[in-house]
Amino acid sequence: MLDRRLVLVSGKGGVGKSAVAAGYALMAQRHGLRVLAIEMESGRGLSAHFGIPDLAFKPKEVRPGLYAMHMVRSEALLEYLSLQLRLPGMGRFGAVARAFDALATAAPAVREIVTIGKILWEVREDKWDVVVVDAPPTGQIASYLRAPTSISELVTTGRIRGQADWMADVLADPQMTQLLLVSLAEELPVSETRETLDWVNETGFVEPPLVLANRILDEFSEDVSQHPEVDEMATLHRSLHASQEHWLTELRPDLELPKLFGLFTPTEVAAHLSDLLEDLK
Amino acid sequence: MTRAILVTGSGGVGKTTVSAAIAINAARLGLRTLVVTVDPARRLADALGITDLGDEPQPHEREPNLWAAMLDSAKSWRAVAIRHADPDVAIRLADNEFFKAASEHFPASQSYAAADQAATFVQAKAWDLVVVDTPPSAGGIDFFTAPSQMADLVGGRLLRLLTGGPLPGRRFFYDRAAKPMLRVADTILGNDLLQRVSEFLLDLRTTYDGVASRGREIERVLSEASILVVTTADPAPLAEAVRFYRQLPELASVPTAVVFNRALPTRWADLAPDPQMSAATGRLIQSWSSETLRQSDARDEFSSRYGATVATVPWSPEAPVDIEGLAALLDNAVGIPWDDLFPSGVA
Repeated sequence: MLDRRLVLVSGKGGVGKSAVAAGYALMAQRHGLRVLAIEMESGRGLSAHFGIPDLAFKPKEVRPGLYAMHMVRSEALLEYLSLQLRLPGMGRFGAVARAFDALATAAPAVREIVTIGKILWEVREDKWDVVVVDAPPTGQIASYLRAPTSISELVTTGRIRGQADWMADVLADPQMTQLLLVSLAEELPVSETRETLDWVNETGFVEPPLVLANRILDEFSEDVSQHPEVDEMATLHRSLHASQEHWLTELRPDLELPKLFGLFTPTEVAAHLSDLLEDLK
Repeated sequence: MTRAILVTGSGGVGKTTVSAAIAINAARLGLRTLVVTVDPARRLADALGITDLGDEPQPHEREPNLWAAMLDSAKSWRAVAIRHADPDVAIRLADNEFFKAASEHFPASQSYAAADQAATFVQAKAWDLVVVDTPPSAGGIDFFTAPSQMADLVGGRLLRLLTGGPLPGRRFFYDRAAKPMLRVADTILGNDLLQRVSEFLLDLRTTYDGVASRGREIERVLSEASILVVTTADPAPLAEAVRFYRQLPELASVPTAVVFNRALPTRWADLAPDPQMSAATGRLIQSWSSETLRQSDARDEFSSRYGATVATVPWSPEAPVDIEGLAALLDNAVGIPWDDLFPSGVA
């Protein structure tokens, strides 16, 4: 698993995918790898788990050998344009980049190719052993994974055409790319995960993902009926556990991660997960 | 007059369940109530009597005064724009590949369609109360910003950026020598793509007046509605709830209440294992009492820091699976400001 160059972590909103992405990045860093962690969405997902106030487009070293950045589409685009056109003075291209961005709203896959493209350029660079991405949620991941292929179909002559082809190859290469889907053992996350699995199997844009079930309760089987209030807790715990067991049979995860109770900070959660993710095969 | 309640919050906090429970309680108080939901879990859809995927309100089979409708998440602003286009433009737009893509990809698109549909139900004046479970895309804030975003998008921002001037003639797009943007786009994307996009944008531009005035109407309807923010005490949804609570007054109105779902009994916070108990029992008690403490900290902070009205809905071991279970969900809820949500004299 640790020889994969690109690890994309997705899942339905609210299942803890940022924590898992941060945990994976920390785990890889502990193994001495040079890691770039990328937060795709706005918000403070990864930065909170690394215990820093915020992330910028420029990678910041958050642990020795572990860098983290926040994907900003306009900056990714500006960087791409200046590299592609080899033009100095990017400043005056600000307006062009904004216009291009507006255009991208209307053209399928163009907006996604800018960000997934930036990720894949980083993967191709020899700077990192692994790029870990706190990716968009499962509802949107399809349009990112599909983007290089869509561009190839849509664009007939532009320079982006050839780039899109190698990008699609990197995504589809099982030695390079691993998609992790985080889910909870609940109805809606399970059904969304299964839909994503079906879509991946049908389209083949990436190899079959690994599925992680998050916040799993352990079994509690003791008789505590002599303590009514504890018994109340046990009743809630058992019914949640039973419901999780049901959804786990539907989900069939590759790894179960326990629910971390109580007063952990996001940094502590990520550190716990980094230990637990050692079991990922 | 039709009252509306907009139920916001991030995905997975039980927003749909809470919306349904409020609607059933309202219906049982004699209010003609429509609950509008998005992509409910199958058992919840069954409980509400939603059998097909249509967005037409259906009366509930056994529950007088209750109607349910589902927001069609596949539907988007394409339908709205096409409605406001001249017939021949509408035909071109309906088949346009870029319009399909833009509808799917522009984040506000589904929210716009949902807001439009919800406003239509409120304006129909057929119900006393319309309870809207807002779509989870971007957690529901989109629902309030989408109308003006759409008008802005259609209103030629694209065209102005592309051309640097007011609405041009079609030839203008191909005047590449004058436009570095177009040179850049040509190099990277190819000329043909740009041409097709520009033709589409010119068609879209013609729908502006219709879309913009409908957008203002939708915003007016939304601003008159009561808003509930549903959350749990988990860090991610809680951060979202704080963001909503602070942004909503500017976008629509001050939320009526913040509803903490899946609340544990507060007395659990004080339970501690005694020495005779087994290690497993000790862990059980520590786990759930610390969880309870975290919940009450979150609620206290919300009310003291932001001055919010905070309500709690207790965690029921079994998720409600039928209409009686849904109705009972709020029996032990604390602090829901019914008087502010329902027409006066009902609650």
